[in-house]
This record gives sequence, C-alpha cells and structure tokens, in this order.
Amino acid sequence: MIALSAAMTLPTSTLAADEELGALALESAPVESMPASATPTRLFVESALGRTQGRSGAPSRDVRRVSVDLVHASRIAPGWRAVVSDRLDHIRPAEPGSDATLNSLREGYLSWSDEAATAVVEVGRINVRNGPGYGYNPTDFFRDGALRAVTTANPFALRENRMGTVALRAQKLWSGGSVTAVLSPKLDDARSGKAFSLDLGATNNRNRGLLTLSQQWSDRVSGQVLLYKDSGSRVQPGASLTALLSDAVVGHFEWSSATGSGMADGGTGVPASGGRGHRLASGLTFTTSTKLSLTAELQFNGLSLGAAEWDRLARSNPLALGTYLLDAQRQQELAPRRAYMLYATQRDAGIKNLDLTAFLRVNAVDHSRLAWLDVRYHWPKVDLAIQWQQTSGSALSEYGFAPERRNLQALLSFHLQ
Amino acid sequence: MTQSFLCEVAMNRLLCNASRGVAALLFCVSALAAPSPQELLQDGDAIRNPGRPFSAKVTLTEFEAGKQVDTSTLVSYSRAQDNGGQFATLIHFILPARDAGKLMLRNGDDLWFYDPTTKASVRLSPQQRLMGQASNGDVVTVNLAKDYSARLLAEEEVQDGDRKNRKAYKLGLTATAPSATYATVEYWLDAENHRPIKGRFFAESGRLLKTVYYRRYQSQLGRERPTETVIIDGLNPQSVTLMRFTDFATPQIPKAWFHRDYLPRFQPE
Repeated sequence: MIALSAAMTLPTSTLAADEELGALALESAPVESMPASATPTRLFVESALGRTQGRSGAPSRDVRRVSVDLVHASRIAPGWRAVVSDRLDHIRPAEPGSDATLNSLREGYLSWSDEAATAVVEVGRINVRNGPGYGYNPTDFFRDGALRAVTTANPFALRENRMGTVALRAQKLWSGGSVTAVLSPKLDDARSGKAFSLDLGATNNRNRGLLTLSQQWSDRVSGQVLLYKDSGSRVQPGASLTALLSDAVVGHFEWSSATGSGMADGGTGVPASGGRGHRLASGLTFTTSTKLSLTAELQFNGLSLGAAEWDRLARSNPLALGTYLLDAQRQQELAPRRAYMLYATQRDAGIKNLDLTAFLRVNAVDHSRLAWLDVRYHWPKVDLAIQWQQTSGSALSEYGFAPERRNLQALLSFHLQ
Repeated sequence: MTQSFLCEVAMNRLLCNASRGVAALLFCVSALAAPSPQELLQDGDAIRNPGRPFSAKVTLTEFEAGKQVDTSTLVSYSRAQDNGGQFATLIHFILPARDAGKLMLRNGDDLWFYDPTTKASVRLSPQQRLMGQASNGDVVTVNLAKDYSARLLAEEEVQDGDRKNRKAYKLGLTATAPSATYATVEYWLDAENHRPIKGRFFAESGRLLKTVYYRRYQSQLGRERPTETVIIDGLNPQSVTLMRFTDFATPQIPKAWFHRDYLPRFQPE
C-alpha cells in the first residue's frame, strides 16, 4: 500500500518541482517600457453599431453612436489640483428634443487640500456621488437630471456618464471618519437639448445643500449619515451601511426619507402620495473562487406607485403613466414601489481577458423585466464588446412601455491614454 | 522540531555520552542564542518591508504555460498602521490604460476599490480582491509576524529563486489575526542572513493557493531587498505571475491617503 502510494505521489511532486523550475526561468516584461506614474490624462473613444427591434410591430432600426471621453487631473501648485472631465456623444437617431451630438461637461473644478490631506475645499462642477447601492441609490441626492445622453441601461456605466453639479464642497477627515458639506446654488431654470450647452438647468435648477458624516466602526463595518435640503422640499435624512459579512460576502444598505414631493406629482398628473416616504436599497454580493461575483438587491420607494395605483393609472391615463416613467428615468428614480435586481460579473470567462457582465431588473409591481448582457474581450488598448438587451412585460408595464423590445449592438473602445 | 526540543535532546546525550558532551553543550548554547522562529519571521519582514512609509512601482507579467499573456503596472504605497503595525496598502493602477487611475485600498479587512470614472468606492470581500492581480501584493508587503505565529519545522537545503541551493530555516506559520489572508504558510528563510527565499500559502481547507519565490536581491532603501517575486498558482502551476519592483522611494505618504473618503482626491506627486 505504501509502495503504491509512493508510486502515485512521486510523479506528481516531480511534476510540481519541474513546473516550479520552469517558472523560475521566466523573465519579467521590461520595466523601461512602463511609465513612472499614471498619466494625468485619460482618453478613450468608443464606437457602437447596433439594431433595435421595436415593440408591437414597430419597425426595427439601426442605432449608431460615437463617444469621446476625456478626463484630465493635474497638480497646478502644491496642494492645488485642477480636474476636467468631459464626454461627447453623437447618437443616431437622436432622442426627441435633443441634438444628435451632446456634450456633457461632467466635471470642472479646482481642489485645495492642506499638507496632511485632512482638509479639502473644492469649487466648480463636481460629481457628488453617494450610496453603495448597485441599481438604485436613495442617498445619491444629486443624481436628478444628471444624464444628458443615456447610452446604456447598465447603472454602473450610467454613473460614468453623468454630469456633476456646480457646487462648493468642503471636507474634513480624521482617523476613521469625515464630514463633508456641499452647497449647490440655483443657476438656471430649464434643461437644454443643445449640443454644447453646460446644461446648468439640469444640474443646478434649485438651491441645494448636503451634509454627510462618514464613520468607520470597524474593519468590517462603515457607514454614512446624510442630511439633504433643497429649496423645494423639507430636510431629507439618509443613511447607508456596508459590511463585510464573511470572506466572500459583502452586504450593503441604503435609506433615505422624503416628504410627498417625490416622484408622483410634478406635471405627471399622478397624485402625490403625501406624507413622508421611505426609499431604500439593500443587497448582498457573493464572490466565488472562480471569479464569479453575484449581487442580489431589493429596492423600495414609498413615494412611487404601488400595484393598485399603477393599475388604476395605466387604465385611466396611459399618457400620464408614460410621462411618469420618463420622469423616473430623468431623475434616476425607482418608478415602482418595489423592485429587484440581480447583477453578475464573471472575469476570465473560460479564456483570459474575456469578461461577462449581466443583470436582470424586475419591477415587482407590474412584473415587467429588463435583461442585459455584456460580453467583452480586452486587449491592452482595445475592448471589443457585444451587448444584448431585452425588455418584457405587458403594454402598460414599466419595461413593456419602452418602444424597444430588443437591442443588440457591437462596441469597439480604444483607450488612447 | 523546536530548538528547545533539540536542546533537551542534546542535554540527554550529554548525560549519556560524556565524549560528545562538549559538542552537545556548544550546540545547546548556540540554539539558545539563535533567534526564535518569530524573530526569524520578523527579520524576514524587515528585509521585505522598509521600516517607514514607502512606495514602489510594480510591473506584473503574467504567463500561461510559459507564454506571456498580460502585463500591468501599478504603484504601491505602504504605511504601517497605528494600531498593530500591519501595513496599510494603497495600490494605484497605471497600466493598462483602461485601468489607469483606479485605486485599491487595504487596511486589514477594510478593503475598498475606487473607480474614478464612476466616483464609486466599493467595499470588497477578500474573495473579490483575490480575483485581481493586486492580491498578489499580499505576499510582498504583508507583515507576516503581525498576523501569524511561527514555529521551526526544519533546517534544510532549498533551491532559491535564482536556482541556487541555500541552507534554510523552514517555518510553519499559523494565522492568529482574523484579517490574515492565508490560513497557514510554509516559509523558508536563508539560514545565513534570514532573507525570505520561498513561501507556500495555504487556504483554511489546506489547498495550496500560491507558491512564491523572492529573488533578485538588490540594495534598496538602505539594505538588500528582493526586487522580484515569482508567484505560481497553487491550483494551476502553469499560471505564473512575475512581480518586478522598481523605483523604491520614501515620499511623504499622509495617513489620509489610506482613508476611504480621500480616494476621490488621491493624486500623487
């Protein structure tokens, strides 16, 4: 028995030793060809070509897009930093009421920090983003109206494209915590569909302020408490939490509360629910040893339409429902009272540098669905991706209302810098 | 076998065999003067990690079956934490271009990934971090003596990363800190100068996760340190990553850099 065991073990250990010897003969890529640090400029160009299949017999149509994306951040003096972030999208066919070309000045601000980097003051157009939620962020108070061009359904990619708000931001950090104040003035009334507009009416159409307190309670738990106020509503409190639950599981929770002037009013003809409503998103992310990461998220908006209200509005005034859904999209708000989301990423799917990303959104009120899949291969400077999107649901449901039933497109991205 | 046990054996022999007594006594004195396994581990840590905040450029070259399949570059900023002395590490991705500017922060179990394009700081689980190459930084900057207890397994000859035979102490490390990435480690240190030679890192299940060789010792920041590690995947030994360390420096690294809320403002000199 011992002899048999030795006979089986010996070749394996010899093989392992041989492999280790082989590994030690390998040589590193030449260091000289690598830059000393990250370049201050990031530039990429993306081209998309696809075909959309319409709903209810509507004809299919081709869609084309070219995007140029630029970010530049540099030190201009000790303690001072300048940041510019801009994106240009040319989309055919154009959205109704908008030019085919839309430029989004996402950020443009000056930043100062003290030598210890514990005090920061910034002024300009700043992307103020909060909340750990994947598909819905109740504490991301500055998301309203921040998107000029909607080029994808992926919530992560949408965050890349959004515009910041013109604001003064001050932050003080200490070991394990920070406090941040943001003041954003009203600068314009209405949003613009013009190609190169700063579109201040989209991001600065009312006076707004936000106070955020962040605290890390342990290596495994941290959170934020937020107070938001704008000129059109009472103070909205919010809070968020992230926790490492095990070596493979991370949990997140995000909540805010607002009074009646939420989704269901403002020109839609949908009666406001009145009173205070809660908004929350909570989920778990589980990662396997095979590089698969899965997130399940529950989403709730107490100021949105519940099943009975949805059904009543759909039957009595479909036009108002359409306006309501467009408003929800513009505000990046949750249209139904309850929704679910599953989000999955698989790195090196079968072959190295092939990544899969997929998600499923389910409207728990009308049971309509949106499914999305991205298959992407990376070269050092080029990405090639195929994206597929499918909506399903009855004609007066959230995703059944969308004019496109299916969308298939190929994308080519060049990372120039 | 521990040194105290070896000493005990030697004393017994001293009593039994007077002719070999002198030699046994000398061995015993030498063993008592020699550093303990934990001290050996600390010595190895001090060779890998300068005792002050430092940065290094890291060039990662990935191989599959001997063929180069990917390269990436990052800059690693490390600083001992106030509580306990384990290293906090901030990794700034440089290449490929699609990843430029991304950051990964590690303070024990507090792991964050920041993407400047989405302005989002995402908490990571240790398993998520293992998905990326940044996790390989662990085997380089981690202060093993802070997270593991060491015992001497053997004194033996072992081949080093430059394929030379070295007389080495083989240590068995067992995790004592909950944030330790690996459950156990087999660790070889050069018996002459306590330089790390090789490590085998195991999961709690006993599965070999990676084998690491520390090689190409050069004078950096005041002493001889390894400037390249060869990391062999435990599950697939055909998958090998070379980490080349250059541009060692001791820039001013404020504590605030290791704060999640500072990540959006991070801009090195």
